[in-house]
Amino acid sequence: MLAYVIRRVFAGVIMLIVMSIVTFALFFASPIDQASFICGKNCSAAQKAQTAAAMGYDDSFANQWVDFAKGVVQGRDYPDDPELRKTAPETIVHCDAPCLGYSRERGDTVTNLIKDTFPVSFSLAISAFVLWIVGGVLLGVTAALKKGTIIDRGLVGLSLVAYAFPTFFVGLVLYKFVAIKWGLTDIPRYTSIAEGGVGGWLSSLTLPAITLAVFFMAAYVRMTRSYVIESFQEDYVRTARSKGLRERTVTFKHALRAALTPIVTMAGLDFAGLMGGAIITESVFNYPGMGKLAVRASSDFDLPTTVGLVVLLAAFVIVANIIVDLLYAVIDPRVRLG
Amino acid sequence: MALKKPLAAVAATALAATLAACGGGSDDGDSSGNSGKAEKGGNAIFFVGVRNVEHWDPQRMYIGRDLNNSGRLFYRSLVALPASNDPVEGTTPVADLATDTGTTTDGGKSWSFTVKDGVKWEDGKDITCEDFKYGASRNFATDVIIGGPANYLFTYLDVKTGADGLPEYKGPYTKKGQDQFDKAVTCDGKTITYRFKKAWPDFPLSIAQLRYMDPYREDLDKGDANNFAIISNGPYKLDGGWKEGTGGKFVRNENWDESTDPIRKAYPDTWDFREGDTDEAIYEQLLADSGDAQYAVTERRLPPALFSRKDEAGDRYTQVESPYVDYVLPNFNSEVFKDANCREALKLATDRAAWIKAGGGEEYFKAADSVINPGVPGYKPNPAFDAMGESGDPEAAKAALDKCAAPKPVKIKFTYSGGTPTSDKQASALKAGWDKAGFDTELDPLEDTYYSVIQKPDADFDVTWGGWGADWSSAGTVIPPLFDSRINLTGDSNGNDYGNYKGGAEVDKMIDDAYAEPDLDAAADKWAAVDAKLGEDVAYIPLEITIFNFVHGGKITGYANNVSVNGYADLAVIGVEK
Repeated sequence: MLAYVIRRVFAGVIMLIVMSIVTFALFFASPIDQASFICGKNCSAAQKAQTAAAMGYDDSFANQWVDFAKGVVQGRDYPDDPELRKTAPETIVHCDAPCLGYSRERGDTVTNLIKDTFPVSFSLAISAFVLWIVGGVLLGVTAALKKGTIIDRGLVGLSLVAYAFPTFFVGLVLYKFVAIKWGLTDIPRYTSIAEGGVGGWLSSLTLPAITLAVFFMAAYVRMTRSYVIESFQEDYVRTARSKGLRERTVTFKHALRAALTPIVTMAGLDFAGLMGGAIITESVFNYPGMGKLAVRASSDFDLPTTVGLVVLLAAFVIVANIIVDLLYAVIDPRVRLG
Repeated sequence: MALKKPLAAVAATALAATLAACGGGSDDGDSSGNSGKAEKGGNAIFFVGVRNVEHWDPQRMYIGRDLNNSGRLFYRSLVALPASNDPVEGTTPVADLATDTGTTTDGGKSWSFTVKDGVKWEDGKDITCEDFKYGASRNFATDVIIGGPANYLFTYLDVKTGADGLPEYKGPYTKKGQDQFDKAVTCDGKTITYRFKKAWPDFPLSIAQLRYMDPYREDLDKGDANNFAIISNGPYKLDGGWKEGTGGKFVRNENWDESTDPIRKAYPDTWDFREGDTDEAIYEQLLADSGDAQYAVTERRLPPALFSRKDEAGDRYTQVESPYVDYVLPNFNSEVFKDANCREALKLATDRAAWIKAGGGEEYFKAADSVINPGVPGYKPNPAFDAMGESGDPEAAKAALDKCAAPKPVKIKFTYSGGTPTSDKQASALKAGWDKAGFDTELDPLEDTYYSVIQKPDADFDVTWGGWGADWSSAGTVIPPLFDSRINLTGDSNGNDYGNYKGGAEVDKMIDDAYAEPDLDAAADKWAAVDAKLGEDVAYIPLEITIFNFVHGGKITGYANNVSVNGYADLAVIGVEK
C-alpha cells in the first residue's frame, strides 16, 4: 500500500511540474504585452521596458520557470534586487517557501491570496457538497427503490430539468428574485465564521450553495439511481436474497454499498475540482473565492497568480484521486483483495 | 480609455483605460441633488463594481474614479477642487493642505506652497514639507512606483534626462541622482518650492486633479507592497486592510481636523467600498432600492439592458456628460492614408449618427466635434469637421475619394476594440458609411490584444479607434499625449499616437508655443489652434462624448454629480439618512 501511495505521489509531482511549465508556455506564447497592463496610460517605451524588467518578464521563459520552481522550494524575494536590498530593504517582500509567486497586480504574495480566497471556495464547496450528496444520493436511492412508479418518474424528470439549467442561470434567478425582488434572503455576501458566527456563515452561503448544488444534485440523482438499479441486478444480490436475508439488509448492506463505489469516486473528484473555485457561482454572487481570483488573474494577465492557482487546483485533484483510490479499498472488498 | 469594453478588456487596457481627473464635466451636467439635507452619521456604500481599484498609492493612481474618491475621503493635497458643479468654480483649485493656492514669481517656472499648521496624518504626526518632497521623489522610482502620471513631472521638473529618456534621478529607494532632485524641490521650514525646466502655469490645477504630488511618509514606505496601503490625512481611514477584489471599509480618522478642511463634509460615519459586483447586480439593487443599496452610490453606469427601467428610480436617476471623447484615427503609416485625399474622404464618409445609434443612442452618446472635450479650456468646435454633418456626406466623400490615389474600391482595414455585440454593431455602422462612399472596409475586432497591436508602428490596420479624457482641465493633457510624435513615436511603439501622426516642425512648434504660454486663456486658444491643424490634417475624426447614466440609493442625501469630480458622485458632500 505504501509503495502504491509513494508511486502515486511521485507521479502527481511530475504532473504538477508539467502543468506549471504548460501554464508558463501558454502565457508567454500570448501576443499580449504584459508590462502594458501595469505601466499605465502615459507610459513611455523606456518605462515599459523598465516595468517588464521589474516584473521579471524580460528574462527568458526557462529562467523564469526555474526561478518559480526555486521559489517553491526555497522561497523568494520580490524584487530580487541586491542593490535595493542594500539601499531600501523595507521595500522588499519576502515570500516564504513554498512560494508560488508575488502578484504585482494584487500587491501580495500568491500564498496570501490563496489564504484569503481558499476559505471562501472551500465553504462554498463543502456546503454545496453536503446538499448535493445528501439530496442526490437519497433521492437517487428513493427513485431506484421506487423504480417505475410515479415517484421515480417525477424525480428523474425533475432532475433532468434541473440538469438542463446552466449554473449561471440558476444563480441569476435566485439572486434577482429571491434576494433582490422578493427580499427572502439578504443580498448574498460572504461572511466568515469569525465575522458572523456559524449562523451568519451558513446564511451567507445559502443561495450560492443551492445554485452550485442544483446541477450536481440533479446529476447525482440520476447517477445514484442507475448504479443502485444496476447493483440490484447483480448475482450477489440474488444470492443474498436467496439466502433469505431481509430486504433491508440486502438493500443497504449489499446493493447500496456496491453502488456507492463509483459515486464516491465522482464525488471526490467533483469536490476537489470545486475547492479550486466555483468560477460561475463565485462570479454571479461576487464571492471572493479562488474561482473569481482565477478569472481576474487571467483577464489581467497576472502570471504568478494564474500559475499558483493552476498548480494548486491540480494538486487538489491529484490528492483527491489518491484519497478516492484508497477509499475504494474501504468501501469495496473486491478492490481490497486486488 | 475603453469605455465600452467589458471587464476583461477594461482590465486589460490600463495603459489607455485610465482616465485621470479632469475638469471635463459638462456645463449642462445635472447636479441632481436628491432629497434632504445631509447630516452626520450613518453608513454609506460605494459600489466599485467589476473594475477593481488598481492602486491606492497616491503616486501610482491614474483612474479618475479613484483619484476623486480618495481625494474626497482620505487623501488631501496642497490644493484641491471645491465640491461644485459650476464650470469655473468647480475647476478652480482652493487651498487644502497649503495656506494658499501657490505662488510663483517667474511666470510658473517655480511654484511655492506653505503647509498649513495643525494638519496631521492618521497616526497624529504632523504633515511636513518633507513629506511632500518625499512624495514627489517617489515618482522617479520608475521600477517600483509604476502606473502613475509621473511623465508630466519628468517633462517639467528641473532634473536632467538620461540616455534612456528617463530622468537621471532614480527615486528615493536607490537615491541615484538625489542631488539633482534636492535642488529641484526644496523645503524651507514649512514652505516647499518646486523648480521646473520651463514654465508650468497650471501646475496647481494638475496637483489638484492628480495625486502624484501628494505627501507620503518615508518611515512607512514599503514600495510596491504599499500599493493598497492607505496612510490617511483626510476625514476617513481604512479599517483593517484593503482586499483587492473585495474592497474595504473606511471609518472616521480622529486626527483629521475639520477646521483645516474647506472641502470635505464627511457626513457618513463609515464608507464601505465593495468591489466585484457586476453592473447588472448593482443596478438591480439600486433600481429596487432595497437593502443596503438604499445607502449606496456608484461610478458604474446603468447598463443599456436596464435603461428602460430608469423611471423606476425617479429622481434617483441622473444623467451627466462625461469628460471623455471617442474618435477614430487614420493610420498615417498605411499606404492608403498617407494620402491626404484618402483621409479627407474617410472623414466625409464617417457616419457619427449611425455609430451613436448602434451604441445605444442619444441617451448614451452625444456627437463630438473635437478631440478636446467641451469641458476643457481650449475647446472649440473644430471647423475641419463641419463638413461631415451628423451622418457624413457620402457624395462629397465620393468626390474626395476620386482624388485618392489608391486603387478603387479602396480597401481598408478597421481595427477596433471589439468583443462585445455593441462594439461590433458600432463598427459595422461606420463600415456602412465608409463603404457607401467607395471604401471596401474589412472589420478587425480585437479584444485583449487590441492595444498591443495598434501600438506597433508597423501594424497593418488602416483605421483604428481611440478614446481619451483630459488629465486636468487643460488641452495640454489631451493634444500632446495623443499627437505629439516626439514623445509618442519611439521606434517600436507609437505610445498613444495610434495613428502614427507626425505633425512635423510646424505642429511641434505650435505645441511648444502653447506649452510655453504663461497666460492660461491665451494657452487655451493656442491649443485650439493646434486642434484645428490636426483637423486639417485629419489626424483624427471625432465620434462622440459618452454620457453617464447613474442611479443612487434612496437614503442618500446631498447627492451631486459635480464637475470637480468629472461628473461622478461627489463623496465630499454626500450623506445618508440614518
